[in-house]
Amino acid sequence: MELVILENTKKDYISGEINVPALRGINLSINAGRFISFVGPSGSGKTTLLNLIGCLDKPTEGKVFVAGTEISRMNRKTSAKFRGDNIGFIFQNFNLIPVLTVYENVEYPLIMVQDVPLEKRKKRILDLLEKVGMISQKDKYPAQLSGGQKQRVAVARALVTDPKLVLADEPTANLDHDTAYKVIALMHNMKKEFNTTFIFATHDPKIVGEAEAIYTIEDGLITKMQENKQPGVN
Amino acid sequence: MKNIIKIAWRNLMRYTRRTLLTSSMIAVGVALVIIFSGVGSSFKNEIIGVITNSNVGDIQVHKKGYVGSIDNLPLDRAIPEEDFKKIELLLKNNPEIKAYSERIRFGAMASNFAQTTNMRLTAVYPEKESKACPNLVKRIKDGDSSPDTFVKPGSVVIPQNIASGMNLKVGGDIVLVATNKDGSVNGMTFKISGISENIMGPQGKDGYIHMDDARSLLRIENGEIIEIAIKLNNFDRLNKVFMNLKYYLLQIKEEKSADPVFEIHTWEDLVPFSTIAKIITLLIMVVRIVLFFIVLISILNVMMMSVYERIGEIGTIASIGTSPSKILMLFLTEGLFLGFISAIGGNIIGVVILKVISAAGFTFKFGDARTEFMLNPQIPTAEIMFAVLFVVIISVLASLQPALKASRMEPVEALRHV
Ligand SMILES: Nc1ncnc2c1ncn2[C@@H]1O[C@H](COP(=O)(O)OP(=O)(O)OP(=O)(O)O)[C@@H](O)[C@H]1O
Ligand SMILES: [Mg+2]
Repeated sequence: MELVILENTKKDYISGEINVPALRGINLSINAGRFISFVGPSGSGKTTLLNLIGCLDKPTEGKVFVAGTEISRMNRKTSAKFRGDNIGFIFQNFNLIPVLTVYENVEYPLIMVQDVPLEKRKKRILDLLEKVGMISQKDKYPAQLSGGQKQRVAVARALVTDPKLVLADEPTANLDHDTAYKVIALMHNMKKEFNTTFIFATHDPKIVGEAEAIYTIEDGLITKMQENKQPGVN
Repeated sequence: MKNIIKIAWRNLMRYTRRTLLTSSMIAVGVALVIIFSGVGSSFKNEIIGVITNSNVGDIQVHKKGYVGSIDNLPLDRAIPEEDFKKIELLLKNNPEIKAYSERIRFGAMASNFAQTTNMRLTAVYPEKESKACPNLVKRIKDGDSSPDTFVKPGSVVIPQNIASGMNLKVGGDIVLVATNKDGSVNGMTFKISGISENIMGPQGKDGYIHMDDARSLLRIENGEIIEIAIKLNNFDRLNKVFMNLKYYLLQIKEEKSADPVFEIHTWEDLVPFSTIAKIITLLIMVVRIVLFFIVLISILNVMMMSVYERIGEIGTIASIGTSPSKILMLFLTEGLFLGFISAIGGNIIGVVILKVISAAGFTFKFGDARTEFMLNPQIPTAEIMFAVLFVVIISVLASLQPALKASRMEPVEALRHV
């Protein structure tokens, strides 16, 4: 079943008088339950592509479908709702809410975006914190955590609503190699556990080895698609 | 909603120093309004009370044109007996009216056989006057100050300044000489039954005699009078009652010219202090306007800074699906909270200071009157409620623009801002 479909999707940025073509015609179809990486040099369009798939931005041309819904023409309110219901985000800078504890950060999507009753959400949050190994730190604030710990909390937050799709733009760029590897491994485990589709963008070749399929993007176009038969071996 | 409140509160507490600074600024503004209103109103009410309760009454009725020439105390502008009966009927049937007292006022020469001075006399029925101006007798410091008998036929109450100026004592004799409306002069000897504090006015030479004596002195044979002082049950309803009375009074017209026969005034029209009272009200208004701007500018400033500092966070919560209306609510709640705690803080400061002023018992003198007024500010409950509501509403309004800005941010652009 195809979870993400892009049909001849183009994205131009207007910066001043100049038109910057960031994506120049992407055709892509990703099945549910996959663990996918976009790679490519800086400025190639990875972030732009993730933003389009994540319903954060609109294409200049072409269509984007996620979970059977065309998301390329939604207004602000409906796209916020769509993201809240279907997509989890993991960011390069972790982006935890500094005034909320670890527990509350993971709780946030369940109370401020969805409306999950207390008992149900408590179970879910504790379960996820257990799985990402942060249960003992649940009452700490983000400022009291290391980068790797923050990103593990962010993984829990992205998964807490049980989204169909999790998008991660450079999730390991601010982590040292070992920690980066552990976070990717964690994401992989979560993917197996919940059968969630993960798409991330990175230019760290060591991380790429974890992906099941690797899309190479160059200058706004997909130039190569490579299946990885034995992810996580290296 | 509970969560919005929690997050808003924590965000406020995040910048403790800034929140405290802004909050104390607003609190000082609120405290000023409370103190000003408490002291100002108590000062105003104290003096209004003194004026209306001891001398003027709440409302006065005269023959048309009297007040315009009140300095001469003209006797030819009198209310004839039959007209007074009509007015009495009106007053007696009005449940808003507590009491009224008819008076004859005239100018007279007072002589102690050695010196002579001029004075203003008000002739009254003591029991009626005491009901219309209950505090009058409290101002009689020497002699008979019982409400029903403070003036009897043959006796006079004189003000302190004449008593000391002419060396007069209670029990002494004084001759009052007056010109009646036909121009003939008449004099009578009175016994001084009381000496009152100066009541008011620039010279303050106001004395009281009994109505019957005035009629003999001025050779008035019928029941005509000069003015009627009216006291209401509820001073706060002054304007309503006044408008109502005026409506009926002005329907009594002259037969020939069809002009109204009477004129009616509230104490405000009759006493120069009413201007000061208006200025106090105006000043309280000005302080409120200053508060308005303090709140508006400081909340706007803080909220604009909050939004600007948190663009990245706004991008995050918007990305993960927080609806624009919730983001709006988050920032509005933050502004509301800031305003609310500041207003409460300001009210506490204001009330404490008012209590201190009250306990210290400051006194002050007004004009040349020898009476001291005690500054005894009441806690202005309505003003406190008003201040909280006012500050909260302005806080929300001031937060509106920054909050709207936050809710309308494009998540992608906001995220890039990190
Ligand atoms: N907001 C913007 N306005 C103008 N041009 C933009 C904007 N965002 C991206 N671009 C341009 O679009 C192209 C693609 O950028 P994008 O951020 O998608 O690259 P990327 O592959 O994510 O790069 P990196 O690996 O450095 O993150 C670049 O040329 C970039 O300069
Ligand atoms: Mg990028």
